[in-house]
Amino acid sequence: MTRSANAIAIEAILFVAEKPVSRAELAKIAGASPRAIEAALIELEAHYEETGLRLQHEGDDWQIVTAPETARFVAAYLGADRLRVSSASLETLAVIAYRQPATRAEVEAIRGVNCDQTIYTLMSRRLIEERGRRETPGRPIEYGTTWEFLECFGLTSLEGLPQVITPEGQVRLPELDRPEATSRRSREGRERAPG
Amino acid sequence: MITGPQAPHVAVEGFDGPLDLLLELVEEKRIDILTVRLGDLADEYLARVRALDALPAAEVAEFLALASRLVLLKARSLLPSLAPDIPEEEGESEEDLRARIIEYATTRERAAALGDKLRTGSRAFHREGGAALSDLPPRGGDSGALAAAWAKVLALAARQHEEDLVAPGERYSVEQRTGEIEALVALHDTLTFGTLLGDRPTLGFAIVTFIALLDLYRRLVIEIAQDELFGEITITRKTARMTAVDVPAPEPA
Repeated sequence: MTRSANAIAIEAILFVAEKPVSRAELAKIAGASPRAIEAALIELEAHYEETGLRLQHEGDDWQIVTAPETARFVAAYLGADRLRVSSASLETLAVIAYRQPATRAEVEAIRGVNCDQTIYTLMSRRLIEERGRRETPGRPIEYGTTWEFLECFGLTSLEGLPQVITPEGQVRLPELDRPEATSRRSREGRERAPG
Repeated sequence: MITGPQAPHVAVEGFDGPLDLLLELVEEKRIDILTVRLGDLADEYLARVRALDALPAAEVAEFLALASRLVLLKARSLLPSLAPDIPEEEGESEEDLRARIIEYATTRERAAALGDKLRTGSRAFHREGGAALSDLPPRGGDSGALAAAWAKVLALAARQHEEDLVAPGERYSVEQRTGEIEALVALHDTLTFGTLLGDRPTLGFAIVTFIALLDLYRRLVIEIAQDELFGEITITRKTARMTAVDVPAPEPA
C-alpha cells in the first residue's frame, strides 16, 4: 500500500522530533490543511498497526512511540526497570486518569482517605502533573495525567483507558471533563535534549 | 444488645436530670434548645468529673456523644442553613451512600485494570529512551525556587514558635466576647469583622468572635452583611434598645 505524501512527511517530522508535535504545527510545516493532516495521521496510525511503532496522542499533540508488545526488548536495550506503583497510588491515579482534570478533594471524596502522599508519589514519578487551578472557592489545584502515564501504561491516547464493568453490570467510560485541556502543559513540560 | 453506661446526670437552668432525657426532650421540641446554656452544662459536668477520684471513662464518652448531638442541634437552630435538606439521621441518604459505594467500587476496578496493564509490562517508549522510571523531582523546580521554599519553611517554623510562646493556653468565653462586641457596637454603630479580629488573631479567638456575632445576630442586636464571598463582614447596630452595661473593656486580641 502506498502512502500519501502528507503521511510520509509527518512520519519523517515525528521521527526526528524530540517532543510531541501539534497537528497545527504539522499542518504548517507540511503546507497542508489540518483536515488533511488528520487524514494523514489516521493513515499513519493504521500503517503502524503492523510495525514495532505506534502513534500516540494526547489532545492534539502527537508523537511516535514504540509498540507495547515490543516493551520487553526495548526495556532490555535501554536497561529500564519495571515501574511499580502501590495499590493506594493506583486508586488515586485511576480517579485522576478517568476524571481529569481532578482536584485532591475529589480524589479524597471518592477514596475516603487523605491522598496527599499518593498524589506526591504520582507527581514525583511524573505520572500526573498540575494543570492549573479550578475557579471555585479555594482555587484548588487540578491534576491530570502526563505523556509518561500514557507510555508507562502502553496507551496510545486517553481514549484507550481500560473500560470497566460497574457493580451494576454497566460499562463505565472515562468521565473526562475537558479532553482538550490535556495537551498544552505536557508539551511545555518536556524539555529538549541538549545538542 | 449490650446496655450502654448510664447517661450522665446534668443540671442547668431549667433542667436537672440525665443528659439523654434532655436530648430526647430537645429532639421532641419539648424544650427549646436555644434556652439551654450548653457552656454551663459542660462546665458543670466537667467540674463534677474533676472532683471524682477516677475518670468514669464510659460515662464521659456517653456525655461527649450526647453533648455533641446537642451542640449540633443548637448550631442548626442558630443557623437554619445548617439543617440538612434530607431527613436522614446523618445527612447522607441511602441513595447518596449507594452512589458513593458504586463510585469507589468502579475506581477500584479501574485501579485493578491499570495495575494489570502495568504488570504485563507492555509499555511504550518515546525516542529519548522512555520516561524516567525512578523518583524524580516534579517539573518546573530550580535551585532558586528550592531556596525560596526553604526560606518559607523556616519563616513558618519561626512564627509557629513565636505563637507557642505568646499565647500559652489562652482561653476566651463566648459570653465575655459577646459582651465586648455588644459594647463596641454601642459605641461605634458600625464595625467590621476584621477590626474585631485584630492583627494576629488565634484560631480560638476568631471562632469565639464569630460565634459571639451569631449570638448577637440571633438576639436581634446587630445586622450582619457580607457583600461577596470571603469579603469583609460588616456589623451594624440593629436597635437602640441596648446600652453597654457592666461590660469589661475589650482586651487586645
